[in-house]
Amino acid sequence: MAAVEVHKFAQCITCHAWSRDRSMLAFCPNNNEVHIYALLQGKWEKLHVLQKHDQIVSGIDWSARSNKIVTASHDRNSYVWNLEGSEWVPTLVILRLNRAALCVRWSPRENKFAVGSGAKIVCICYYEQENNWWVSKLIRKRHDSSVTSVAWHPNNILLATASTDGKCRIFSTFIKVVDAKESRTGPSADSKFGEQILQLDLSFTWSFGVRWSPSGNTLAYVGHNSMIYFVDDVGPSPLAQNVAFRDLPLRDVLFLSERLVIGVGFDCNPMVFAADERGIWSFIKFLGERKTTSSGPKYGSQFSEAFGKLYGQPKQGFNNDTNEHSRSRGGVHENCINCIVPLGDPGSSKVKRFSTSGLDGKIVVWDMENQEDLAEYL
Amino acid sequence: MSNTLRLYLTCIRNTLDAAMCLQNFPCQEVERHNKPEVELKTSSELLLNPVLICRNEAEKCLIETSINSLRISLKVKQADELENILTKKFLRFLSMRAEAFQVLRRKPVQGYDISFLVTNYHCEEMQKHKLIDFIAQFMEDIDKEISELKMSVNTRGRLVATEFLKQFIRPTMFNEPLV
Repeated sequence: MAAVEVHKFAQCITCHAWSRDRSMLAFCPNNNEVHIYALLQGKWEKLHVLQKHDQIVSGIDWSARSNKIVTASHDRNSYVWNLEGSEWVPTLVILRLNRAALCVRWSPRENKFAVGSGAKIVCICYYEQENNWWVSKLIRKRHDSSVTSVAWHPNNILLATASTDGKCRIFSTFIKVVDAKESRTGPSADSKFGEQILQLDLSFTWSFGVRWSPSGNTLAYVGHNSMIYFVDDVGPSPLAQNVAFRDLPLRDVLFLSERLVIGVGFDCNPMVFAADERGIWSFIKFLGERKTTSSGPKYGSQFSEAFGKLYGQPKQGFNNDTNEHSRSRGGVHENCINCIVPLGDPGSSKVKRFSTSGLDGKIVVWDMENQEDLAEYL
Repeated sequence: MSNTLRLYLTCIRNTLDAAMCLQNFPCQEVERHNKPEVELKTSSELLLNPVLICRNEAEKCLIETSINSLRISLKVKQADELENILTKKFLRFLSMRAEAFQVLRRKPVQGYDISFLVTNYHCEEMQKHKLIDFIAQFMEDIDKEISELKMSVNTRGRLVATEFLKQFIRPTMFNEPLV
């Protein structure tokens, strides 16, 4: 079994993030709060509750080096939380958005972060020393719908976005004040802030969950039509591969190595995709074990019976012990998985562990150590 | 359950399984709102193609999907006037108690007898396969219930008629020879 730890923290979790040493965990229990748990004497205990947002928190990211938490919420705001003593002190970021913020991600050097929003805008925020606040620069153009996911290229300049208009776009986020000293290489060599490098038009429907491979050579994102897209050689002549699978669509992806990708989504079970020696990607297997529900014998029931059951247990699903059952999906997770976070050492490019959280309120840590058949890809 | 009904329900079940991939999605048009997109239909890119599943002309099921909500509209078989009245009354009775069912819509979509509205919030607090089971069970039971109602109306009608016509029977009637 690849799942090594299963924690049930809440009814429902929208997103989660870990501190660098994995001793602390921040997640949003599907409301306006962020809970921070810490591992104390082998038990997870609630240490802090961050209450500043007034709508559901849609994105959390914990920077490894500077130990800051950034949160984004449907209330259009974003906060940067800094641990001072034993208190998390929030700093409001003026995003200048007029719609919900949907996702947030620290840049690899942690001097910027990107926020995707329902206003069809991406905000790139950076810290201004003189004024002691976070300034937001907007990429206003190009998006025709909400930005559902953002991903930073390891070079700290390129940003990939996935949007519900079905496209995946790559922008340059060069900001003079913060990026001036750093070397500029690759396709971003002479681009201004907000310039679109590439637009990928592979999906016919909403796209989600965009990520770069550890080296930044490959980009992966998913479409709601049960497809996953891999793009190599991002630049003037990109090489794209579409991989269709027969199960429900994915919501998020994660590169474990250059040749191994984990996808999570509505199927409640992480899917493994891998590239062979020629670089051809394919679906390998489900990571978790699947529960199989046997369909019992059929017999009719009175309408009133269903009616009564509905009243009896409205929260826990409609209890129904007659008739053919729809297959319950998943194994460890019982509902859609919408967040996957790597748990690797910051130093190495290989990630052996990762954690997933979903609408069933569980946070599951997965370990790839004892997966012999996948070892060659890691 | 007849074989054709089983196929019809299996088809609806599978379609619902694929369609019920919903997520929390805030409104793009109005600030700080979160509405079922399938009802608002303000952003066309957030809607998927509707699926219409027909068993025959009288029985069909329309499944409309959007990014955060799903609408299922049913047309129930109505063979004659009596079934028509019974269906209308019975489904109206259920629709008026829509809160108790959580996923039931108060008014059916035009051209249909009853509609369900499933949002991402329902998927968060209830298990998806149970929700699908509920809808399939509902469709199965509604037919059964209507035919049972029809039967009891007919039985009652016959009883009432027999009782009513008894007063016209002359006690001597059966003793008289047939001419």
